[in-house]
Amino acid sequence: MPHLAVNDVYAKYGALEVLHGIAFEVDRGEVVSLVGPSGSGKSTVLRTLVGLTPVSRGSVEVDGTSIDYRSGRALKAARDRMAIVFQQYNLFQNMNVLRNVTLAPTKVKGRNRREVEEEAMELLALVGMSDKAGAYPDELSGGQQQRVAIARALALKPDILLLDEVTSALDPELVNEVLDAIRRLAREGMTMLLVSHEMAFVREVSSKVVFMDKGRVVETGAPARIFDAPESDRARDFFGKVLRG
Amino acid sequence: MNYTFQFNVVWRNFDALLEGAWLTLQLGVFAFTMGALVGLLGAAIKTYGPWPLRWLVNLYVVFITNTPALIQIYFLYFGLPEFGIRWSNEACVLIGLTLNAGAYLTMILRAGFLSVRRTEMEAGETLGMSPVQKIRYIVVPHIAKSIYPALANFFIVILVMGTSVGAVIGVDELTGQAINLSTVNYRWLEYFTVIAVMYVVLTFIASLGLALVGRWAFRVKARIF
Repeated sequence: MPHLAVNDVYAKYGALEVLHGIAFEVDRGEVVSLVGPSGSGKSTVLRTLVGLTPVSRGSVEVDGTSIDYRSGRALKAARDRMAIVFQQYNLFQNMNVLRNVTLAPTKVKGRNRREVEEEAMELLALVGMSDKAGAYPDELSGGQQQRVAIARALALKPDILLLDEVTSALDPELVNEVLDAIRRLAREGMTMLLVSHEMAFVREVSSKVVFMDKGRVVETGAPARIFDAPESDRARDFFGKVLRG
Repeated sequence: MNYTFQFNVVWRNFDALLEGAWLTLQLGVFAFTMGALVGLLGAAIKTYGPWPLRWLVNLYVVFITNTPALIQIYFLYFGLPEFGIRWSNEACVLIGLTLNAGAYLTMILRAGFLSVRRTEMEAGETLGMSPVQKIRYIVVPHIAKSIYPALANFFIVILVMGTSVGAVIGVDELTGQAINLSTVNYRWLEYFTVIAVMYVVLTFIASLGLALVGRWAFRVKARIF
């Protein structure tokens, strides 16, 4: 049984349908990447998984249990299993780094503050941010903020971490510090689903690549197969352009 | 000008003026705090509530902001007893000012609600926060920081202009005390000169307090002088 199964999912923004039947699976401990041109619906897939964009048809299963996104309780349960990191970090601007990480575990989960703070410091160490625990987001660089956002998502102990173009808003020299944090998580066996334009990184870290175009999955396979020998014309055309540079 | 100022009378009764100033400060702080809670609720409803509630809040805001505070307090003090509801004059001023401030603050805080970054709310949402938690941990700190100057200004308005309305229904705040005392010996000009200075000192203290609270609690980069 796959850890996460996305079955023929459709989604709309208002009247505009952006996903037309997406299907793929993620096994436990796997890193799966969604790649494809802008506007292909990659980020929308992640947003539907955490209930920010409603699923209009199809189903999402975690460990074989289908998530009913219309029920508040089921949605909350789904958000316990999956945590998302956004392109623009979306840290709480009015709280320092430590509080950003501890807020949800203490206030949403009602866990002991001391214990959560200890764990938070470990997570911040994991992403190399423990020396900035008292800093506010506006005092940090984009790369630092993004690493805090990753720690914040991990603080809820999700089974699956969703990463939505987490390096796209960063200066080129800051990209690697974030990618290193993700590499470390991959080595520790964290299940991840990521949307990225960093093709070399995707190839290095993923066990499976899902190529999407215009709200559909065009092909799925091992990174070497997808990058070097794509079967579809669309993928060949896309990788021909992005990998040549 | 042939008038001879005689401040001696005023100094002899200065204790009473200080008591009045203290009551003014208490009324101002209380009415502003309660009004801010009403305003927070109103702004939350106007931003996220269902239409019948939004409509009710609009009615409240339009009704209050388009009538004078004096008349609202008159209504509470002289009108309600006709319906068997009898409140003390202090209670009438407090409730009247709270309702009045609540309507203005609904509008002021609404601007704060609308300027919260949508992405921060989404982050809160995906971390499992309830609507109340999102307001408490994301919206309120954002509002406190981003529209702090507007809030501080409005507090001064309530403190100076709002509370002095109490004088007309016999609440002995600063203006009320001055009126009471000057009717005894007709030293109107002296009393009102002194309380004018006292109001300035009061607002100065309040501004200083607000700036310190803002810096300490909300990282507002407020200049004190």
